[in-house]
Amino acid sequence: MRVVIAEDLALLREGLVALLRENQIDVVAQVEDGPGLLRAIAGHKPDLAIVDVRLPPTFSDEGLLAAIEARRRQPALGVLVLSQYVETAYASELIGGDTAGIGYLLKERVGDVRAFLDALQRVADGGTVLDRQVVAELLAPHNGATDALSGLTAREREVLALMAEGRSNTAIAENLIVTSGAVEKHITSIFAKLDLPACHDDHRRVLAVLTYLRVSR
Amino acid sequence: MDLSLAQGANPRRWMPTLAAGLSIGEYAHSLVRRLAFLSAVLLVAIWALSGQGYFWPAWAWLGLGDLVLLDFSASWAWRQPRGAVRRVACVWALVGAAAVILIFTWLLTWLLAGVRTFWPAWALLGLATSGSAYSLIALHDRVLVAHGRRALRARIDMLTRTRRQAVDAQAAELRRIERDLHDGAQARLVALTLQLGRAELRVQGQPEIRGLILDAQREAHHAIAELRDLARGIVPPLLADRGLVAAVESLAARYGLGTSIEVDTRRWLAPAVESAAYFVIAEALTNTAKHAGAGRSWVLLRDEHRTLAVVVGDDGRGGADPSGSGLAGLRARVEALDGSLRVDSPEGDGTVLEARLPCG
Repeated sequence: MRVVIAEDLALLREGLVALLRENQIDVVAQVEDGPGLLRAIAGHKPDLAIVDVRLPPTFSDEGLLAAIEARRRQPALGVLVLSQYVETAYASELIGGDTAGIGYLLKERVGDVRAFLDALQRVADGGTVLDRQVVAELLAPHNGATDALSGLTAREREVLALMAEGRSNTAIAENLIVTSGAVEKHITSIFAKLDLPACHDDHRRVLAVLTYLRVSR
Repeated sequence: MDLSLAQGANPRRWMPTLAAGLSIGEYAHSLVRRLAFLSAVLLVAIWALSGQGYFWPAWAWLGLGDLVLLDFSASWAWRQPRGAVRRVACVWALVGAAAVILIFTWLLTWLLAGVRTFWPAWALLGLATSGSAYSLIALHDRVLVAHGRRALRARIDMLTRTRRQAVDAQAAELRRIERDLHDGAQARLVALTLQLGRAELRVQGQPEIRGLILDAQREAHHAIAELRDLARGIVPPLLADRGLVAAVESLAARYGLGTSIEVDTRRWLAPAVESAAYFVIAEALTNTAKHAGAGRSWVLLRDEHRTLAVVVGDDGRGGADPSGSGLAGLRARVEALDGSLRVDSPEGDGTVLEARLPCG
């Protein structure tokens, strides 16, 4: 896997580079701002870009905009956006019309190294990873999407939340301490209740949440 | 009695009458002037008919002129504002009339009798001195009060300006702190958890050390979460990054009230104004979500002269307590910007919260 990192804080950037290299991931470029990211992507054609939302010079949402632009120029590129805070508006903008190869995580998730590496792999493979806080906010009772999701049982909500984080059936089963078969049954039920057509796409799982993410905007 | 000439009086009319709608004062007024003019002309005619010679009508003109002059100066003095100013004006009207009479008399003695010395000099000096002395005594406290008032106004202007600067500086400083928390301390803690994670990966078969590392990581996570909450309480990140409209849209979406948002302003907003507007809207929407049981809610941002009007309303059950702690805090925030906050929440008939924030 070939990766570009856009992060302005040297300490964190170097930590990430070291972590990835230790795990046989090829970091082809490290940049500090949006234009740098676009140049690196054009030059190196990486599989994945890890982008901080706040980048110089404005330190507002430059990273996010650069990530969206990078995806526009190179649709096959996986983009994992790291943010200091959860903002569902950002997640929905990032997703746009296409959920494949998108990740939006809180920065501190890099500390859970195994899960982070797993998320990288999934995004690079065209999967979708959403931070569990984004998911929690979407599924919170005060959210407008609640009406549509109110038909789900508490267990189905838990499963949906884990699905939205991009977990596999096995991981969900482990997490909830149930069998894989039970998880599959829940998922089928969720799809049915949310009226989502079954298709081959491996990532239709997160569509359940992402649909509502887009609808609630 | 009003001695001033009415606007409606037609000056072209040769002889105004009471029937023309003039008051007795106005009538007397125009009568005096016209009679004086008539007499002056008549006297010249008599002089011309009686064989001319020494031009005695000039003295009669002086007397008639005095009458008109006094009439003019009295009505001018009467138009001045009541009180000390009018008293002073009356004194100066008399002084002026006397001075004109003196000078005119001297002129006649010079022209008709050949008196060369300017004899009214001392009298004029005396008149001017006494007039000035009277004015000074009558008006000195007024001058002092006016001076005090000017100084007070300048002080109020200065205080208003510096308070606004202080509020703006504080808002800018809070944004800087929010940024520093996110991009400084929090980012460093993230880097720390990353290093701990890398360390944890390398530990093989030493559960005790692994446990310690995971504990340290958990603590770092708590610290990060606390910093994030702290920063969000200071300035919501979306407000700092994308401005008021984006922040309000996100807020409304989060509450899922189907809030309609109407924005009718393109003005650049100072951070202090932006934050105040945001917190007003946030508090109002929170109350709507918690208490109102509303079917409809709306937010309106509008430019009104040099003021941002923020209106948040719902059609819920009303009856909000304007002295509640949340609203009192908002009021303090708004008033620090010289703004105003109005809460209209009749029982059972919705709530409308309206803030006006001056934008300098």
